[in-house]
Amino acid sequence: MSLLRIIGLKAYFPTQDGIVKAVNTVDLEIEKNERVGLIGETGCGKTVLGFAIMRLLQPSTNIEGRIMYNGKDLLKLSEEEMRKIRGKEIAMIFQNPPTFLNPVLKIGYQIAESTQLHQGLDKKAAKEKAVGMLEAVKIPLSSKRVSEYPHQFSGGMKERAMIAMGLACDPSLIIADEPTKGLDITIKMQIVKLMKEVTRQGSMLFITHDLGVAAEICDNIAVMYAGELVEYAKTEDIFKNPMHPYTRGFLNSLPSRGLKQIRGISPSLIDLPSGCRFHPRCDHIEEVCKNWHPEMVECDKGHYVRCLQYG
Amino acid sequence: MRIEYVIKRLFYCFLAFFVGISITFVILHLMPGDYISHLLINIESTISPEASEAFKHKFGLDKSLTEQYFIYIDNLLQGDWGYSFEYGVPILNIVVEKLRWTLILLIPATLLSLLIGVFIGAYFGWKSGSKLDLSVLNVMIFIRAIPSYWWALMFVLIFGFYLGLFPLGGYMGIGVLESGTDYLDILHHSLLPMITLTLCSIPGNYYLMRNSMLLTVGEDYIITARGKGLSEKDILFKHTVKNAMLPMVTMITLELVFMISGSVFIETIFSWPGMGMLMIDAMNARDLPLLQGIFLMDTLLIIIANFTADMLYSCIDPRVKVGE
Ligand SMILES: Nc1ncnc2c1ncn2[C@@H]1O[C@H](COP(=O)(O)OP(=O)(O)O)[C@@H](O)[C@H]1O
Ligand SMILES: [Mg+2]
Repeated sequence: MSLLRIIGLKAYFPTQDGIVKAVNTVDLEIEKNERVGLIGETGCGKTVLGFAIMRLLQPSTNIEGRIMYNGKDLLKLSEEEMRKIRGKEIAMIFQNPPTFLNPVLKIGYQIAESTQLHQGLDKKAAKEKAVGMLEAVKIPLSSKRVSEYPHQFSGGMKERAMIAMGLACDPSLIIADEPTKGLDITIKMQIVKLMKEVTRQGSMLFITHDLGVAAEICDNIAVMYAGELVEYAKTEDIFKNPMHPYTRGFLNSLPSRGLKQIRGISPSLIDLPSGCRFHPRCDHIEEVCKNWHPEMVECDKGHYVRCLQYG
Repeated sequence: MRIEYVIKRLFYCFLAFFVGISITFVILHLMPGDYISHLLINIESTISPEASEAFKHKFGLDKSLTEQYFIYIDNLLQGDWGYSFEYGVPILNIVVEKLRWTLILLIPATLLSLLIGVFIGAYFGWKSGSKLDLSVLNVMIFIRAIPSYWWALMFVLIFGFYLGLFPLGGYMGIGVLESGTDYLDILHHSLLPMITLTLCSIPGNYYLMRNSMLLTVGEDYIITARGKGLSEKDILFKHTVKNAMLPMVTMITLELVFMISGSVFIETIFSWPGMGMLMIDAMNARDLPLLQGIFLMDTLLIIIANFTADMLYSCIDPRVKVGE
């Protein structure tokens, strides 16, 4: 049995301009000790998917489908039961530490908080644990840094502190939301190295729009486009044999492959294109693509793609 | 770093002080009527031009306004607030004496209205959007929209006149003539004006706090707190209230200005012998030096409150400590 199994997940936001279909019928599995990368352009629904798993979306969101975690459907749990899972079994490393860290609480307190809650540590033990966590994420002078506030930390250090917070209770599943975004290249590589090290045990959903980083860390990669998954395969297969035109375009936009951008812009999640969501930007478009919405099909062993060329 | 910050704030205080008293000086001298002509109405006879001249000369009123201004500033810097026309005693003495009475109302009313306003504001900022929240919001707008003197009149009428629970005004019963000062009696007299002042000041604090809560609840770090598995209660008390109170601290000074002006009306209606009533008396008598002194004291109060708020803010908000 896989650790996490998402079945037919939808997350829609009713807004004044219409319904934002941020996550659309997503199926995804994460095994124990597996690291799955979730990649896609900004605004395609990656964070919303992560929030849906944590059940952190605002109450007005329409959510459908099932999120099976260790055989339990998270969407059916009470708020009370969910609180025992958040931070303890599933933890999230949020995407923008400057705003996701509380500016008036000490870093150490913010790390210690979940260990006090879930592991029953007393104040002193929790603080020691926080120092240990800061050490684990390679923050120098951790016993001094533990009593500092977020604004005293540099961008890279805030990211490390955020990672320490997520890992504090040894969660079985960690959802890391773009932990390398906005960092310069040396710090980015340090964080990648760190993420590989600290998550050797446990599973991870690694959200990023940086394929290079995903390649370093993940066993499998899911490619997301306009709220749905369009390709899923082993990391090496994604790089060696990308099948979906969007994945290919995404790869070609890497600096090492010539920085060729995909033409057009990502579609509005309120008025989704008919047929294949990607057809307005696709170079292999046929008439049928405009009307027929393709399903995910397994083309190779463990290689799934949502494109009519293969169906 | 810290000390530089304090010095900088102190400098701004002095600046605000000088601007404040200068504006007061100008505005008071723009006011029509003067002390002599006011006296004429009262004593119903003419004052000889010589006496009038002598009075003007004695108080330096024959000098030009600019000259008077510089003499005034010079005296102030030496701690001399001048003499009252009406009472003929040093203004500082009168103002300090009356300030004590005002503070008897102002301090409890400030603390109470803060406590109640912040509490209700925090609660409904957290639970915003409910039916009860909207009703409370409307009630608060209603209380605030009606001037404090109307509330004062209503309270005197209902609790003083009809129900007879409180005295109609004043600060001591007639009995003190025989028994000496009775603190319980003063407390009894102070309750109704204090309650009125508190009531009128609650909506401002409530509104600031509710607004601040609404903003804080939408912050990303609240999601982080929820993501750790914290209970709603912990999120409210450990991650929201403190953050929401921070902007309140600096806004409180604005509330104090509102309260001081409110206390002028309330003291007058309740015949409470504080600065507010003194102000009305001085205004009617065109006792300019006294008025000046009262405004000077108000300015000082507000500047001190502002400075305290700034210092307090830098103590509770870690981000200010570095001095930016
Ligand atoms: N609370 C919300 N209400 C309405 N729309 C939202 C909300 N949260 C996210 N969205 C929309 O959902 C889409 C996906 O957002 P997100 O998951 O944050 O993208 P990303 O893939 O960059 O993480 C975006 O178009 C965003 O505007
Ligand atoms: Mg995102």
